[in-house]
Order: sequence, then C-alpha cells, then structure tokens
Amino acid sequence: MADSTTASAPKPSSSVKLVLLGEAAVGKSSLVLRFVNNDFQPNKEPTIGAAFLTQKCQLPNRIIKFEIWDTAGQERFASLAPMYYRNAQAALVVYDITKPSSLVKAKHWVAELQRQASPGIVIALVGNKLDLCEDDGPEQDQQDGEGVDEQQEDEVARKVSTEEAKAYAEEESLLFFETSAKTGHNVGEVFTAIANGIPEASLKGPKGAGAGTQSAISAAQDSTRVNLNAGNGNAGPKEGCAC
Amino acid sequence: MFQALIGKAQQFIDIPNPLASSNADRPSKAQLFRHQFRLPDSQSPLFEITAEVTLPKSKKQSPSTPKSGQPKSWDKSNWDQDREKGTHYLGQLHLSEQFLCFSTVNTSFVSTASTSASTAFNGRTNGTGPSGNGFTLPLCAVRRVERLHTQSYMFALSITTWNGSDAGTDAKPGAPAPPKLTIQLEGSRQQCERFCDGLKRGLRQGIKEVEKMRTVGRDCYSEYFLYDEFDMKPSPTLPNGTSRTPPDTGLGSIFKYPGNPRKLRDRSKMRLWHEYLKENGRNATLVRQPDFHRLIRVGLPNLLRGEIWELASGAYFLRLQKPNLYKETLAKYEGQESLAIDEIEKDLNRSLPEYAGYQSEEGIGRLRRVLTAYSWENPEVGYCQAMNIVVAALLIYLSEPQAFYILSVLCDRLLPGYYSTTMYGTLLDQKVFESLVEKTMPILWEHLSSNDVQLSVVSLPWFLSLYINSMPLIFAFRVLDVFFLEGPRVLFQIGLAILRINGEELLEAADDGAFISVLKTYFAHLGDSAHPKSENPKHRAITNFQALMVTAFKEFEGITQSAILEQRSKHKAAILENIESFAKRTSIRNLGPESKKLSTNDLGFLYDRFFTVLYEREQRAKLLQEESDRKKKAAKQKASDIVHGASGNAPEIGRVALGPSPSQMDYDAFREFLAGVARWAVTDSPSSPTKDDSAHKSQNGYFHTLKAKPLNTSPWGSGPEPADHDFMQRLFKKWDLEGGSALTLQNVVSGLAPIKGNRDIMSSIAYFFELYDDDADGKVDREGILRMSEALLFLSRRGVNDGLSSSPSMTSMNDGELGPEGKRRENKDEQFLSAVSAFIRRCFEYADPDHPSRQAEDGVTSAMDKPTVQDTPANLLDLEDAPQTPTDAAANSPLSRPSPNAFGQSTPKPQAVAANAALDPSSPVHITLPTFRMLVLADETLESFFDSGFANSFHLADAPLPSSTVTSPSFLTHSGKLATPGGPAIPALSPGGASAGVVPPGKGLRGMLDNIVTDGMRVAVEVRRRMDEAQKEIDRGGTTRGTEEDDDEDGDDHGRDLLEGAEADAGAASLKTEPSLLDEPVGGEAGGSAAAVPSTPGGTSDVEKTTMFER
Repeated sequence: MADSTTASAPKPSSSVKLVLLGEAAVGKSSLVLRFVNNDFQPNKEPTIGAAFLTQKCQLPNRIIKFEIWDTAGQERFASLAPMYYRNAQAALVVYDITKPSSLVKAKHWVAELQRQASPGIVIALVGNKLDLCEDDGPEQDQQDGEGVDEQQEDEVARKVSTEEAKAYAEEESLLFFETSAKTGHNVGEVFTAIANGIPEASLKGPKGAGAGTQSAISAAQDSTRVNLNAGNGNAGPKEGCAC
Repeated sequence: MFQALIGKAQQFIDIPNPLASSNADRPSKAQLFRHQFRLPDSQSPLFEITAEVTLPKSKKQSPSTPKSGQPKSWDKSNWDQDREKGTHYLGQLHLSEQFLCFSTVNTSFVSTASTSASTAFNGRTNGTGPSGNGFTLPLCAVRRVERLHTQSYMFALSITTWNGSDAGTDAKPGAPAPPKLTIQLEGSRQQCERFCDGLKRGLRQGIKEVEKMRTVGRDCYSEYFLYDEFDMKPSPTLPNGTSRTPPDTGLGSIFKYPGNPRKLRDRSKMRLWHEYLKENGRNATLVRQPDFHRLIRVGLPNLLRGEIWELASGAYFLRLQKPNLYKETLAKYEGQESLAIDEIEKDLNRSLPEYAGYQSEEGIGRLRRVLTAYSWENPEVGYCQAMNIVVAALLIYLSEPQAFYILSVLCDRLLPGYYSTTMYGTLLDQKVFESLVEKTMPILWEHLSSNDVQLSVVSLPWFLSLYINSMPLIFAFRVLDVFFLEGPRVLFQIGLAILRINGEELLEAADDGAFISVLKTYFAHLGDSAHPKSENPKHRAITNFQALMVTAFKEFEGITQSAILEQRSKHKAAILENIESFAKRTSIRNLGPESKKLSTNDLGFLYDRFFTVLYEREQRAKLLQEESDRKKKAAKQKASDIVHGASGNAPEIGRVALGPSPSQMDYDAFREFLAGVARWAVTDSPSSPTKDDSAHKSQNGYFHTLKAKPLNTSPWGSGPEPADHDFMQRLFKKWDLEGGSALTLQNVVSGLAPIKGNRDIMSSIAYFFELYDDDADGKVDREGILRMSEALLFLSRRGVNDGLSSSPSMTSMNDGELGPEGKRRENKDEQFLSAVSAFIRRCFEYADPDHPSRQAEDGVTSAMDKPTVQDTPANLLDLEDAPQTPTDAAANSPLSRPSPNAFGQSTPKPQAVAANAALDPSSPVHITLPTFRMLVLADETLESFFDSGFANSFHLADAPLPSSTVTSPSFLTHSGKLATPGGPAIPALSPGGASAGVVPPGKGLRGMLDNIVTDGMRVAVEVRRRMDEAQKEIDRGGTTRGTEEDDDEDGDDHGRDLLEGAEADAGAASLKTEPSLLDEPVGGEAGGSAAAVPSTPGGTSDVEKTTMFER
C-alpha cells in the first residue's frame, strides 16, 4: 500500500479497521464518499454486501489509515454484518436525524457491537442529514445518496433531538456527532475523533514504525474534541477503492 | 510447495461422502428432472424411454459440426431412406404432463429407474439445465404425430411441430416451419405403447394451450426476426395488412444496448442465429444442437439475448403456463403499499444509474413495476437489494413480463435463498465457494487464511449481483448468457477463474485492501488484450475476458452442479446455525424492557421453545397437507406413474434461517408451548394414541423414496398433548396485548416476566387476581371465584413446587422418595387440595355481597343442590375415614380469623352457612383484591404457592422440564453463545414432582367437588397405593425403572439422562436415611420423578386417574 503522499515528515502510520453500520438509506456510503473523495452523489448505488475503501487521517504525530467497510443497510443484510465487523477497531453507527426508527436500529447495532465485536471497539454514533434540519436555505434535495423522500420538504425535518441521542451516547460511552454528508459538516471531525479515540496499544500498522510513544497517547487523548486537522479527511490523498 | 502437497493430499482425503450428507438436502428425481429441462414445478417425469432422434439434414451443414451428439452407428440402414441424411442423437426421451423432452445427457428420472436415490446421478450435467442436445417441447407445440410404418419391430414417430401459426412458404411470407422430428423409440413394444398412450393423453390436453403459446410467441423476437430472410428488410405489414412491429426487446432498443455493436460483431451473430433458428425451430420448438451451445458461449446478439435467456432459464415455460400473471399481479395490487415497495422506491434511482435508460422515467417505471410485481408474487422474498441491479440489467434486454418470469426463476431455482430475508443461500454459496477455492487453489487459500483475508467479503457481491456491478456490463452479460444455460455452477467457475488468473498478484496482497484492489484493477482491464506482447496477432487479439472464459470453462470444467450440491449440503447446517444464533441473539436483545427481568438463559430458552413450537407445528401441518395431497394424487393416478418428489425440500420450511417463518402463536400453539414449559399444561387424557416410537426411529434414516417422513398423525407431534383449560385461555388473553389472538415472542416474554421475574408474592397474587378480573373493576364474582379455585386445582394437580423444593439444595430433594418423605409429599398435595377448598369456603365467607340485603338468605336448600364439599378434602387427610357428607349446615361457627395452620391438618366442622349462602346464585357476591390477598396469605399452602410455587411451575432454562416435552431440535438448542458454558444447571431430578395428580383436570370444579365426596376414599386408597408403589420402585432399583422410562420418555435422550441422574441420586439417597433429611419438606423432586414415572408403561396411570374420578 502506498505510503503517505503528503509532505509531512515520516510519521508512524497504522491502519484501523472501521465498519459502518446503520439502517438503509441513512447515508453511510455518502459519509464515506465525503470522507474519502470529498464528494457527494445524490444517487449512489446501494451497497451490496459491503464496499471497501481506505483513507488516511493525519494526526499530529501519527497517520491513521482507515480501512473502511461500508455495509449494506437493508435489514436482511444484517446477518452478513458479523463478517464485516469482525476485528474492527472502530465503528460508525449511523442514523438519520429525520427518522426516529433509524435511531432505534442504531441502538440495536450498538448493542450488537458491544456484545459481539472485538472488545475495546471505538463506537461513534452519528446522526446524519443535518442539512435537512438547518435553516440555511431551502434544500430541495436530500443530502443523502440512499434515497429520496420528497415528503419531508415541508415538514419539520428533525425528528430526533440532539439531546436525546447525545444522552444515549453518553450513557453508552459513544462518541457522538451530527453530520451532513451533503455539506460535509462534521464529517472529517467524526473520523478524526475516532482516530484519536483508538487506544495506541491496539494499533498495528503494516508500515507502523513502532507502536507509537507514550506522548502520542496523551496527545491523542487530550485532543479528542479538538479539530486537529480540519478538512484533512476531505483534502487528504485519494486512494479509495470501492469494490 | 509443501503446503500445496498438503492441500493436494487433503483434497483426496476430503472426498465428500455422499452418505454423510442427509438425504433431505438432496433434490428429488422430480426436481432434478425439472431442473434439467427447466420445467415449471407442476411437471413430473411420467414416462421415459431411450430413443433416437433424427433431425432433417441441415441444408447448409457447417463442416465444423462434428458427427458428435453421441452418434451411434445405426446398422439397420434399410429402415428408412431419409434417415441416413439426417443428424441422429441417441438419448432419453421424457414425458411429463405438458412437455416432451429429449436430451442426449444420460440421466434417468423416473422412480422406477435402477437407482432409488438421486445420489446416484453424478453425471456432470446432472440437473444443470438444458445442456446436451435435444429439446424441451411443450405439448401444445406438437401439431401432428404420426406413427411411421416401418419394419414391424421398429416403433417410430414423426412429430410435426409448430409455433402456433402456419409456416411461410414461397407464396406466402412467414417464419419457416420448425424441423420435423423423427423419433425412434427403443424399448419393448409394451414400453413404447405405454409411452405413446401417455403422449396421446398429454397431446389432447395440450390443445387447450395453443392460444397461450401464440400469446407468448408474440413477445418473442425470433417470430418477428424469422418472418423475413435475414438480408431483407423486415416487411412492414402482414399479408392481411396489419402492420408489424417488433416485439419489446428491452430498454436497449430505446436507449441503446451497452457496448459497441460492431466490436461485439452483433450483426454476424444475428446472421448465425437466423440460420440456426430457421433450421432448428425457435422458442417453443427450438431444438438444441451443438451450435446452440457454441453460439451462446460467444455471446448473444442484443436483440435475441432476452429470448434465449428466457428459453435457457426456463422462464419461457413459466410464461407459457401463465402468460398474464405479470399484468394480473400488477392490477391486483395496484395502489397497495408494503415494506418491500418502500424499499424498492429507495433504490430505483440508484440501479445502474449510469445507463441512460435509468435516467429516464421509462426505465425507472419498468424497474419499479417488475420489482413490485415480484414482491407481491413472492412476498416471502419481497425485495432484496441487489435484485434492483439484476433486474435493471435484465430489463435492458427483456420486456417487463419476461424479466418478471426470469426473476422468478432466479429466486426460486438458480439462486436459491440468495435474496431471502436471511440470505442464507448467499452465505451458503460463499462457504461453498471458499471450500472450492481451498480445494482447487490450496496455496492461495493458505495465503488468504494466514493473512486473515476473508474471501467472501470480496466474492459475495459477485454472486449476489451476478457479477453485474463487478465487471463492465458487456462482460457481465456474457457471463449471464452462459449462466442461464448452465446454471449456478457458472458463477463458481468464473469466480475461481478470476482468482486463478490473478493468483500471483493475490499472493502478494497481504490485506483485504490490497486484495480488493488487485481484483478491481483486473476487472477494469477485462477488455484489454491478455497477451499484449505476443508476436502472434491472434494471441494479441485475445482479451482478458476471453481468457477468463476459457479458464473458467476448461480448467474448472470439473466444478459440476452435483459437486456444488454436495458442498451445499455439507455446509448447510453450519450456515443455518450461524444465522439462527445471530437471529436469536438479536431478537433476544430486542425484546423490550420487560425482558430484563428474566435471565439471558431463560430468554434463550423461551426463544427456543417458542420457535420450536412454531416450527414443529408448521412441519406437521405441512406433512399432513402433503400426505393428503399425495393421497388425492394417488387416487387419481396409478401409483407406479407417480414420482413423489415434493418432499425434497419439505423438512426445511419454516426454519428461522431460511427466511420468513411464523413469528406468532395462536392459542393452540400457545398450549403446546405451555405444555413444554409447565407440567400442569399437559393434558391427562390424551385424545390421540401415543405414538409408536420405534417406528418413528426406524424410518428416520431411510431414503426418501416414496414416503419421505414418518407421518405423525397426532396434531401435537411427538410432544405431549397440551391441556385446554380456562386458566390457559385467560393467560393467553392476558399476554395477548395487541388483542390479535396471537402472541409474539415479545408478548410471551413480557407475559412471563412479571411471573418469573418479580418473585414478589404481592404482585404475583395481584397478577393472578387480574387474570380473573374480567372487567378490570377490581372485583371477581362468584363465577370468577369458582374459576380461580378450579385454576388453583388445575395448576396443582401434578403437585406444587414450593419454594423449598425448587431450591438448589439437591440433596434434600432427592430424598423425596423415602417412605416418610413420600408421605409428606403426598400430604403436601392433599394439603393443597384442602387449602383450595378452604379458600373457596373463605372466599364466600368473606365475599362482599353485591346486594347486602339478600345476604340473610338461608343456604340449606342450595347447599343440597351444590353439595358444599369444602371440608371434604380436609377429610382426605384422614385416610381411614369415609367421606362425610357435608350436610351439617347448622353448624354455624366460622373461624373468626383463619389461622395459617388451621386448615392443613384440622378438619374444621363444616361452617358453611355463610358459604352456602354465598353459593346461592340469587345472591351475587364478589371479592376484591385485598380480600383475595388476605385469603391467600391466611393459608400457608397458598401463600407458598404464590410466593414461589406458581412461578416455579414455569420451567425455564434453569430447570427445564426433562421429559420429551422439550423437544427442541438441535438447530435451536446448540445455537448461540447465549447458552451458558456448561449449560444450565441441570437439576438432578424432574422438577414439579408429580404423580400426585390427585385431582382430575378439566372437569369443572363443581363436578369435581361432587366427585371428591364420593371418591375421597378411593383417592386415599390410591394415594397410599402410589406411595407403596413408589417405595417399591426405589427398592427395585434402576434397571426396571429405566425400561419403563424408555417407554414413557419417548426416547428422548436428554430427558432420560436427567432421569437417570435422578435415579442414581435417589438410589444413593435411599441408602442414607438421615433424620435431618427426613425433615426436609418434600414437594419431592426425586419423589416426583420416581413416583410419577412408575405410572407403568403407557398411560395406565392416566387410565387410573380418569376412572378414579369418573362417575
């Protein structure tokens, strides 16, 4: 795999397996597309089984290479999920803030991961489609690639309050973000926070020059909420490969 | 290298044992027959005979056509002058209800063939599809059959076929006539005549189908195509003046077909097909000759692609049977909504979005209609992502109805279980693929496993979307061309070839990402030259895709349909188990807050029990249905003509992993469920004879030739017949929160949670009270009181498990069988009986009158009508005494306040005046919850019952009923990580201790009270006899008991183990009769199992019990 193509000095790089889970059409693939290619497609083919992409995330003293498994959301694909979250170190559980049922499904996934995935998995709860709920002008299209639902235009779009989801996330010790894959809002931050949340000890990189230093750990811990490399994900080298 | 050797070695060791896999997984002959000729499910092989088919010599026989087709040098050349000129094929001729099929592939499908099970067919095209040369002729396409007059010992037929319209001639334009088939039957005269009789019958039926054939033919491009000579412009009108329009050949005809037609050499392919179809018939009348297969391998031309797919896959025959099904389905469900439709809508805009047709409403509309129609037609599958991509691809070449039928064939036959709600077929085939990779490419396999690369992660989308979104479309369609003809093995062959070709690079890839990117690059370069540096321009012209096809079909020729079937049946159990444990895990986790009151073990147990009951019920229903169908069919036809193939997949229906299964219990299922959880829910008087156990066992292992499964005529299967009692109905109603007369697992769990979870006597009393408070006004009337009492007796009739007896101190329980202990136990039951009777009495004593004024009414007369037996049960304690008749109505000294112990042993004088008054129907009374509570708490026995006995009477994971009642099939029991390591603590004995059924069930309290009076004595005697018997049992030791239990336990190993454990313990305990143990309260578990079971083989104890209380 290619080394970092950025100008930065050689930093320890390590790969992290990340899996995306969530109900169909909440915008999993769109989040990944935004993160990996800084792109947005209104009509993205549904994910069959899972798609695999990679993207690097620059931290001050190391590079995290995300190996992203973007899974299919339709209910019946759920039984395939264990195949994909096997050995995952991080998970993005996505719901649609305009669809309460998707939060319920997200909670199921969180429970599943907590019991079945590798111990110590870093889970982020992500409420997507924030653009539908903000007053920044009439948005005609859904930001999400996984479906178009025209009825929502004239309704109060938000159906899941930030507080509710946040409280749940705190209760379960999850990272929590509300994002918009369409505008790119908060997308990079999610991945950066995850990168920071991965315990140094669990990092194993193909090119990992050592397992990192103690200072790196503390730096990472201190900066969970700090946007270290704003837009890094978006501007980063493109090396996604969907299968 | 060494690894390779090991791999090779393993390959030899690992020869799949055909006997190891269960026969249930093997397709039946009828299925194989249908698959071979791609016939609809309604067809079965009726007759078959060896035959030689002669086709008229091709007018322009290409020199390349070898004299293959299994030419047999036919030496009786004097038979017919013409036959020398034709092409001859020797093979099997088959007749089904509506089809005449011929194939040179040597298989035999009728039941009378030499081998009894389909395992014997290991031919490489076995069941694959219409490979080999031959034809599949709908009988309606036969226009004339003539018996050829040849030498007497020859039996030859000449068959003229047509496509529903007269052939064109020189004078009249039109498609040419299909070839005349000459068929020489080879068999005894009798065989030949039987075959011909069958054919005649079929042909008469076939006349009705001609109109359908015409309808279907109108959608076939070949009809339009062959109307004119290839080089002529299509005539714009028919002779009668109506204009001719080409049939719908998919979106491609509007939005262009993918790929460059010139590069694809579309026109020359069309020319070849024109020639082929002209000489060999088209659609219904098509005859397969070697060129047919060759023409498909090189890729179908755009305009004929859809039709040939339809023919090769057999979808054409489905359409022929129900030509209007598509339109009708759409019309029938127009405007209705469903989950599937919502899911479809989400995906319409993202199905091959790069193809122009799907950027238009026209394309989207077609896609929507086909997917929707199919989701209605097959609601079990509904809609699965990936179907959108497959159908979108199909619709480029097919009309909507054609795509609809092909989708049906895909889901039902070619990709079984792929799109089901659990996608088990997909997972299974991934496993099969992995094992094939392991066998054929051991080095690569070793590399993958050592780098922890999960192959199925890469290959799953290949199979699920038929390579359509993995390869460039034009290549994916070429794979589809072969796939429809040769079946699922093609997917495996292509997959293996992809890995083989990329083997070296893949060996360098060390993680998922690298692995995937190698393949992605490869797919992107499929159109490039495979040998770009070759000197030979011919070699340079070979594309990667062509090389792939060659590798797939040459190198992996050995991947046969039967090899795949073999692998599927090998891995099926494990896959289903995985899915089921996943489903169980998920479902248990999502049972709602109430479920938290129960342990995970208990939830797992309930889950198993719940779905086992549903599954078994469905199985039984299906078997019964099948049996009756079979009988009906058998009545119609001679048995020898029938192949009973339907049972091939039958035992699977309803398994959780196989797709939607029932998830709700009706009342009967609920009863069955309870019977496996609570002892009281088993009936005492089975209505159906006990099953012949030995017969059941011996039949299980047999091949499913004629009778697939032993038929259990009992509606309750192998489990005990559940009781039916008012209490159970009330429980059902209470748990049925939605009021839909059906319980979900969640209902069951939240219904049980307050009983099992709280362990709080007050709430359990309240729970019981509420069951009887029909109008929820906090009052239970006289009827209710009686029903409550009936329920208490009903629940306790097999003994009550009070808190102490179910405590984990096993030793104390094991001693239940000892003489004095036994007595204690029996006493216990009587105690309960008397407690209940005292309860009734006191209920009426303390009942609040609805109309206080009428309270004074004297009860003597009514006491005569309804004998007040309240004190009689107490008398039972005095085993020597004859029962007293409760006539002493005058004794009017009710206990001022019942002391807890007063009722157990003492025989209070009948103080029934108040009660009698209360019994008078003319003075309505009721009790309230506080009264009820007080009355319960006033009695030690009842108190203990509500404290723990009631809850303990439901046996969940921690103390399962050990008998055959819990017959959870293995797939449910050992699934999942939920089963605690080491399993639930197995009690050393059967809980609920039980012979004690002193009280008959279901006769109604009043009748029972009457009976108690007269039968009290007998009861006492019986009780004593049982005790003695139990004692003797113990003295006799284990062996005799063992055999008795064999009979009783219905051969359930699990149960027997438990009981044997109990025995051993009981035996051991009998040796050390320590006084301290004697003091233990009994309720006796060990006593229970020992005393309960001796009920002598079979149902004698039941007989005793019933007669005991009969009038």
